[in-house]
This record gives sequence, structure tokens and C-alpha cells, in this order.
Amino acid sequence: MSQTDHPDFTDTDLSAWLDGELDVDNHSRVDSILRDRPEAAARLRLLAADRDALRARLEGVLTEPVPERLLSAVRRQRSEGPWLRAAAVAGLLVLGGVAGSALTWQWQGRQLVTAQAGTPAGWVQRAVYAHSVFTPEPRHPVEVRAQEEHLARWLTRRTDLPVKLFDLRDEGFDLMGGRLLPDAGGKSAQLMYENAQTKERVTVYLRKPDVDAPTTFRYVRQGDLGLFYWVEPGIGCALVGALPKERLLALAQSVYKQHEQAEAAGTAPPR
Amino acid sequence: MTAPAAFREQLLGAIPRLRRYARSLVFDTSAADDIVQSALERALVHWRQFDPRRDLVLWLLAIAHNAWLDALRRDRHLDVIAPERLTEAMDRERSHEPDVGLQIDLVAALARLTPDQRSAMMLVAVEQLSYAEAAEVLQVPEGTVMSRVSRARAALRAWLDGSGSRAAGRPGLRRVV
Repeated sequence: MSQTDHPDFTDTDLSAWLDGELDVDNHSRVDSILRDRPEAAARLRLLAADRDALRARLEGVLTEPVPERLLSAVRRQRSEGPWLRAAAVAGLLVLGGVAGSALTWQWQGRQLVTAQAGTPAGWVQRAVYAHSVFTPEPRHPVEVRAQEEHLARWLTRRTDLPVKLFDLRDEGFDLMGGRLLPDAGGKSAQLMYENAQTKERVTVYLRKPDVDAPTTFRYVRQGDLGLFYWVEPGIGCALVGALPKERLLALAQSVYKQHEQAEAAGTAPPR
Repeated sequence: MTAPAAFREQLLGAIPRLRRYARSLVFDTSAADDIVQSALERALVHWRQFDPRRDLVLWLLAIAHNAWLDALRRDRHLDVIAPERLTEAMDRERSHEPDVGLQIDLVAALARLTPDQRSAMMLVAVEQLSYAEAAEVLQVPEGTVMSRVSRARAALRAWLDGSGSRAAGRPGLRRVV
């Protein structure tokens, strides 16, 4: 259909009508054309369908995880010097007390080696998303339940990570289970824990670190959620939960210690 | 002085919108994200130029649009897919999107629009801006937006009407509109 076939209406009329951009007079003029001329109405339906198809095709982009490089493009300009990381470590010393300090010094020692530690990376954001998406699930919060003994083996095999089922019962949290998640460079694993009394849930997100990823121990807060994250050789770990910082720290320390012990004892599966 | 934290937070919040607009302009995800990244960097450098009474997303869309035009000038492949790459581009689309029939044809059809038509149509149809807002982003009069959107829709429809007879691999897929 070309516009010359229909001297009384044009594609521009239909297009602007569709966009709600005609003034009152023209709008009612096109209204009556659409009423009287089936070919105009048919044409309009096609244009509307094309518009809907375009929207549908691009809609998914809005909910895609934002690539790490875009997040860091916004964050890295922040004047976040080494002093801030030092302050974070100092904060840990105070909060963690004697038990924490030995750990913190280890972490700090590692930080000194890789002082260019970055701002919260994309994978940390994914850990937060994964937490927010799955912890509210009443029926299927996890993919494989903790009772199934193959959980650790399954996650280890699928992620190629030494997944250990950390025992957080001393801190009041029981393992519910875990799930496999997509991560930028491959797969990651999420373990979920629940406090039986308070019904609070925390997640541990495990992933293979990027090549030459900085080794850091950091705390960030996003709204209600707090998270501790760190990267060790072979594994990156984030602990996420809507808990006060001190309680999260206790859990993070427990996870860290158990991972170290497993490594030292050689019980962690080979990478 | 670097941009304040509140501004950065708003910037982070706008990223999905910027990504969608960039993806509506270029096929390739990573090329689209290059445009977004460049827009974010420009916004951070020029944050003082933003008038907080105005709509940040519009301001950012305008910056992203300019970043795209710059990229077009550098690399003509961004807007129009060469015939030999079309099948590949369509396969890529197919691989991560449900094939809703029309969508595959859309990819081919969009490749044929001029950059002016395409950007105006996407701002109005997908980003759902008014003609006045699109005019602000594109720095053209409203009447120009209206005619570009209309021509883009007509061109898209013409291609979709005829796509049954035009095989995807057929050469000569450069712009005809």
C-alpha cells in the first residue's frame, strides 16, 4: 500500500494517531477514517503490531544483568583510594574482635599485594540479584535440597569449583540446599541457609574468580542487604543477607575458616 | 571533582534503559554496550551540565545517541549489516531469543532503515517517548520526528510485507529505502 492510493489519509496520519500525537481535530478526522475505511484500520493494525513486536524484541534487555564493565564505568571514577579499604579493614578489626583479627590480617596482607582492588564487581551484583530472587521463594528456594548428599558433588562437578557445604549451625543457620546459576565466565553456585527461629535466610555465592582478580575482603550494603565478599586463589565468595553487619561478619568468618581448613586438609575436591 | 554519589546511583539505575536503546540501534550486544559505556563515561565527565530539573534518562539517551553517531562515523558496519553477515546476525538473534517468527524478519528489516529513521522510531515506539521528547534527544524539530517515525514504519512494513519472497541470503541487502 502506498500513500498515493489514499489521498484522504497518509501513513503519517496513522503513525501519529498510533503515537497519540495528533491534535484534537486531526485525531477525530483519523478516527472517522478508521471507522469508515477498513483498509485504514487494517493498515493501522499492522503498524501497531510492528510496534509491539519491536517492544517485545527489546523488552528483555531491561531485565538482563548489567555487564560488569558498565557498572564499573560508573563506579570507578569514585575517589576511592587505598585509605577507604584500609578503613574497611580497620572496621573489621573492631567488629571482629580477637577472633577476627588474625583473619583480617591475613586478608589485609593479601590486599597489600593487590592494592588495586576494585569497586564491587559485576559478580557481586549477581550474587545480590540471586539472593533477592531466590530467598523469597517459599516452595522452591533451592534447586537441590541439603538432604540430598550429592549436593556438594553435583555443584562441584557442574561449577568446577571446590564447593564445600559450610556448616553454619553454630551461628544458628541450617543449610537448605543449593542451586546452579549462570555467571559471566561460566557457572556459579548458590548455597542457602535459614535460621529456623527467625526464618532469616542468607546465601553464599561461589564462583571461579576472573584471571588475576584482585584478592580482597570487602563489605558493602545495598538497601536492606549486606554482603561480605572476597576472592581467594581458585574461588570467589560472597555472603549475602539482610542482617546486621556483625552477624554477617560472624558468618563470613565461619565460611572463610571452613574453606581454609578444607583447603589445608586437602578435603576440597581438586580444581 | 568527580560526580556525586547520588548522581552515580541514578546513572546506575538508567543503565537498563540505555542498553535497550543502544540494542535497538545496533545488533551486536557488545557493540551496543560499547555505546552505553561511552555514554556513561561522557555523562560522568559532564555531570555538571545536567540540569537536575530535567529528565536524566532523556539527557542520557541524547548522550547515548551522540555516542552512537560517533561510532557510526568510525565504523559504518554498525548501522547496516553487510549481506554476508546477515545470516550470522540473524542466527545470533535466534539463539538467545524465542523465535517469534516476525522477530527474525524484524532484524533484517531494521538493518535497512536509515540511522535517522531507526533512531526516531525506536525512541518513540520502544522507549515510548513523546515526539517532543524524541525531538529533544535527537536535536531536531518535532515535525521531523513525526515524519521520520512514519517513514521508518512504512519502510519496515514494506520489507515485512515482501520478506516472504526475499530469501535471507539474498545479496543486495543494503539500504533501499
